[in-house]
Amino acid sequence: MLKPRLGHENLGLGVGLRTVHFPHILEHQPEVDWFEIISENFMDSAGRPRHVLEQIADRYPVVMHGVSLSIGSTDPLNREYLKKLKTLAESINARWISDHVCWTGVAGRNTHDLLPIPYNENTLTHLVKRIRIVQDILERPLVLENPSSYLEFQDSTMSESEFVCRMAEEADCGLLLDVNNVYVSSVNHEFDPVKYIEMIPAERVVQCHLAGHTNCGTHLIDTHNGQVIDPVWNLFQLMHQRTGGVATLLEWDADIPPFPVVHAEVLKARKYMDENLPVRNQANLEETVTNPSSAAIPHPASFIVAEVE
Amino acid sequence: MSNESRNLDQLQRWMQTVISWPGGVEAGIDSEAAQSEIPLERSELETVVTASSRQTSLERMGIYANAYYARLLECLSEEYPALVSAMGKTAFGAFSMEYLQEFHPTSYTLCDLGAHFPQFLTEHKPPAEENEFNWTDFLIEIATLERVYSEVFDGPGIEQETLLTAEVLNSIQPEEWPEVTLKMAPCFRLMQFQFPVHEFISQARKGNSPQVPEQQLTCLAITRRNYIVRREVVSQAEYLLLSKLQQGLNVGDAITCLAESDLMEPEELGAKLHEWFKHWTTAAFFIDVSKQ
Repeated sequence: MLKPRLGHENLGLGVGLRTVHFPHILEHQPEVDWFEIISENFMDSAGRPRHVLEQIADRYPVVMHGVSLSIGSTDPLNREYLKKLKTLAESINARWISDHVCWTGVAGRNTHDLLPIPYNENTLTHLVKRIRIVQDILERPLVLENPSSYLEFQDSTMSESEFVCRMAEEADCGLLLDVNNVYVSSVNHEFDPVKYIEMIPAERVVQCHLAGHTNCGTHLIDTHNGQVIDPVWNLFQLMHQRTGGVATLLEWDADIPPFPVVHAEVLKARKYMDENLPVRNQANLEETVTNPSSAAIPHPASFIVAEVE
Repeated sequence: MSNESRNLDQLQRWMQTVISWPGGVEAGIDSEAAQSEIPLERSELETVVTASSRQTSLERMGIYANAYYARLLECLSEEYPALVSAMGKTAFGAFSMEYLQEFHPTSYTLCDLGAHFPQFLTEHKPPAEENEFNWTDFLIEIATLERVYSEVFDGPGIEQETLLTAEVLNSIQPEEWPEVTLKMAPCFRLMQFQFPVHEFISQARKGNSPQVPEQQLTCLAITRRNYIVRREVVSQAEYLLLSKLQQGLNVGDAITCLAESDLMEPEELGAKLHEWFKHWTTAAFFIDVSKQ
């Protein structure tokens, strides 16, 4: 029988580490439970980003979250990348390494986007094989996140939730359940997000993501640019009830406010962590259009700007 | 083509081609590259990508296509803010689109996305302008220096190194100095420009709208201390001497090169050398000395 969270610790309520918050964190050392980093921003760094990370890793638990593993691609796995990932994880004592159920490029290219895959038997076999190789190289279970998506393929023969469940079981990996992504995709692809959460094998959920998104009228985009909306909090509550609690993190990647605002947002999760609270009515799973003509874009990765005297 | 015979590799190559096609999704579907993976009429897109009740399959593909260039352009704009200021957003966007066709993103990190932008601008300089410095050169020089800033900022530095001290230098006997070679800091760069682009970049990065400066030969020494990129203007004489030391010449030979250059009078050079070396050591341009 599997241990909850595959045996990983529930780190509490954390915040995605962003460069604009470096000065605040170093000066004030806020009482944050843990931080998640974008792995690719630090793997090759020999400058200030890496220096700051080392100081933060000395004080806080750190988790590595990647955006370029491209586990679903048909390109060969980038072993040099994996080697650097492992080295960084060891040097900062990363509690675990995560990435996404997606592909980011093919034919040697990287679109720097989290692109969807068709959910069928062939793709499942392909991913399971590659996840096992990655886990062998990293010598630890990989934790994979359900992505937000904006299209589906005719080649799919199963739902995303079924695919993710089977992938996790067959590859023996962990899951990072992004409840905002579940919500975004549920609106875009017109499925029931509650059923999705209910289907996920609770003991494999190692971590949860929360974030804001943009409502473009005909679809939602995972922009990570604002507060978490109530329907997403409701899904979080359901996830919490099912898992008994997992390390939970807020992502805020565009229009980033001061650190205390971001931290306060993730602390709202406490309201939804009382297991006696009933799951809110499905009728509440609605939201208003906030940006119908938006040029909103997802922000899976970010560029670190040089600091010059 | 049936779903059974369409493999994942074809689908991914097709999708990547379509969403990154500069002329948009429909032109991407029609392109030879996409057709070679999945032969498809535009009207048949739904045989690959499903529609939702609120969006057509074409609109759904468009979300990825719009995001592709928007995201990469945003990243390039963040690395080259002064170039955006000099060129204007529209022109910068147009050049970026061309750049991304020629240098497809291939790295796992966005830090590499703009690495070839100065080279791209240089290679696309109008042929008629090859022998004169002008506006295009100014833009190339801005791009070159902004890229150097990025590389120095996140590349190897000296923050964890034991720096040269006055004691170490004082331990070198006067007669030994000509044979001494100096090891430059890994973050040290020497750059020569036809315009004072460093000033333009500093102003632009502060959010100001600087005027295009007059052409003026500008030599810069760039390094990093305490994880911040530092740059200072050096004279042509300093530039020559530092460049010779950077090439690995010993101090004596480097000074001889400078003395033979006619950039300074011998008396003036003699007076300046001590001052220069003292400052360069304090500024940590060098991190070690070796006596041959």
